Amino acid sequence: MKRLDISAPVLSQQDLGHGILLLAILAPEIAKAALPGQFCMLHAGSPETTDPLLRRPFSIHYADGDTIFFLYRVVGKGTRLIAAMRPGDVIRILGPLGCGFSISAETKNILVGGGLGTAPLFFLARSLPREGTTIMLGAKTSGELARADAFLPHAEKVFLSTDDGSLGQHGLVTELLAGHIQRTLCTGFLPLVSACGPWPMVRAVAHLCHINGIPCQVSLEARMACGTGLCLGCAIPRSGGGYLHVCTDGPVLDAALVDWETSQ
Amino acid sequence: MSHPRPDLSVAIGPLRLRNPILLASGTCGYGRELADLVDIGALGGIVLKGISLKPRPGNPPPRIVETPSGLLNAIGLENVGIDTFIERKLPSLREIDTCIVSNILGESVEEYGELARILDMAGGVHAIEVNISCPNVKAGGFAFGTDPAAAAEVTLAVKESTCLPVIVKLSPNVTDITAIARAVEKAGADALSLVNTLFGMAIDIRRRRPALANVFGGLSGPAIRPVALRMVWQTVRAVGIPVIGIGGIRTAGDAIEFLMAGARAVQIGTISLVNPRASTEIISGIESFMREEGFSRITDMRIDR
Ligand SMILES: Cc1cc2nc3c(=O)[nH]c(=O)nc-3n(C[C@H](O)[C@H](O)[C@H](O)COP(=O)(O)OP(=O)(O)OC[C@H]3O[C@@H](n4cnc5c(N)ncnc54)[C@H](O)[C@@H]3O)c2cc1C
Ligand SMILES: Cc1cc2nc3c(=O)[nH]c(=O)nc-3n(C[C@H](O)[C@H](O)[C@H](O)COP(=O)(O)O)c2cc1C
Ligand code: FES
Repeated sequence: MKRLDISAPVLSQQDLGHGILLLAILAPEIAKAALPGQFCMLHAGSPETTDPLLRRPFSIHYADGDTIFFLYRVVGKGTRLIAAMRPGDVIRILGPLGCGFSISAETKNILVGGGLGTAPLFFLARSLPREGTTIMLGAKTSGELARADAFLPHAEKVFLSTDDGSLGQHGLVTELLAGHIQRTLCTGFLPLVSACGPWPMVRAVAHLCHINGIPCQVSLEARMACGTGLCLGCAIPRSGGGYLHVCTDGPVLDAALVDWETSQ
Repeated sequence: MSHPRPDLSVAIGPLRLRNPILLASGTCGYGRELADLVDIGALGGIVLKGISLKPRPGNPPPRIVETPSGLLNAIGLENVGIDTFIERKLPSLREIDTCIVSNILGESVEEYGELARILDMAGGVHAIEVNISCPNVKAGGFAFGTDPAAAAEVTLAVKESTCLPVIVKLSPNVTDITAIARAVEKAGADALSLVNTLFGMAIDIRRRRPALANVFGGLSGPAIRPVALRMVWQTVRAVGIPVIGIGGIRTAGDAIEFLMAGARAVQIGTISLVNPRASTEIISGIESFMREEGFSRITDMRIDR
């Protein structure tokens, strides 16, 4: 695994509304090495700043040629500074980091995203055959279903849901998944579920898969200082005791490895 | 005006370092983890993640939270334990051409002695740093670092168990650091390193609970630098053994402040988590500064006062 720490120019910064942005960075070596599910640490603000002190972790939305894309939401100090960057500005970027999704083109794939959980799933969707891939995306409201359209060419079926019913099915994406799992199992196929989103959603997906005996991989978040396995700050409870480190064991983990009861 | 190439090498007791920059314990893993990101062979040395007799799972999350120009951590000294360390981590460290310091943490005086004895026999480490100052462990650690008599007892136990140079790492969470420093020197320590993290906390006001699951944590990073520098200054003037300065060093200028205060070497911690190349950038920055100012040796920079 080759990790690079470079200063790279911002190519574009697209405001998608609802505080969600799409950032493109020209970083050929990172873009070429990147795998779906991996992430990068981005430095917010000027190189001299010590506040914010830490870099921020972001999943790779996708890589295309020499360019690497991030889909992110402005939530605090660091993301506000990143959102203020303009084309031509230089950003310090470390990556690609962590273990990505296992990619299985032979099985039927179900990708489940909640909120900005869509970010890493897009790269995965692009790497899978269209045939046999189902995508289910949910958010609070239609405006937060960022880049749902972009998924359309990459899946046989795309299902959407919103908590307020403003787009797609009214309800939770996990409800969509529950129905779909039953239908898939009836056809005799054992699908592979890949999920990313807020903790309660991912936990519900993991539980659904567990009770149906379906393999499930999840992309998880944790507070990170280094992103490179040095600080041991990014621990989450491992089933059977001890801890997993999201930045090196993950961020994509077999759901069966995670202790969902003690976590958060 | 051009000056000859300055000599960056320093001596810490019997240890010879090619330059005064080491990576601090807990921020460079067991060395190999960052070999692709930083040229470890260019460093004066690395201080490995703290090791205990038994493996420790560490604290529940959240373990870290960012504060203004600082990092609060309560990792809880998660580590693989001495046996696994010697079996799996130590062999690959022998290929690295730098000074390897192993950091140890015991829950009793006897455990510190035992750890030192095991490391002494294992071979492959060049010095032992004794952590008597971690604020994140309930049993042990902390109590030894705040009481001069207990600190001396641990130092003695380690010195009696090894021929390796012994560096004792002091806690800043005390009223008079020089009292502990003198006690540890008298007990036979070859050098002192300071400071470990400052005891602190943060509250998540939306969730109405402490930001760390452990409630308290250790503060590190640029926020603590002036406090650390003051303690290094005081300690250097209270003891005769070499002092290694630690705390919030981010730039060559920061490191030079500690060297001018009288530190023989410095350790880089939190900043190398943010910028893996910080340590090597600091080395070249110190060299440029010495050229510009006409210093030929590191110790020449010390302020005599
Ligand atoms: C592996 C991984 C991938 C991620 N991918 C994305 C992505 O693709 N798009 C996106 O919008 N966000 C993503 N996040 C979350 C993103 O890192 C946080 O939203 C961001 O760090 C917030 O920084 P801030 O300074 O704006 O917020 P602040 O609230 O000011 O941050 C304060 C501290 O909390 C940490 N923090 C806050 N929220 C989170 C969080 N959810 N996860 C981890 N640390 C957090 C920050 O890193 C920082 O140390 C990802 C997180 C991880 C761990
Ligand atoms: C994540 C983290 C883990 C640490 N683990 C250890 C440890 O295992 N043993 C130890 O003696 N000090 C440990 N420390 C303390 C550092 O070695 C150092 O003394 C302290 O962080 C101050 O230096 P800095 O401001 O440059 O980080 C740790 C610090 C951090 C941030
Ligand atoms: S973030 Fe530092 S070890 Fe994972």
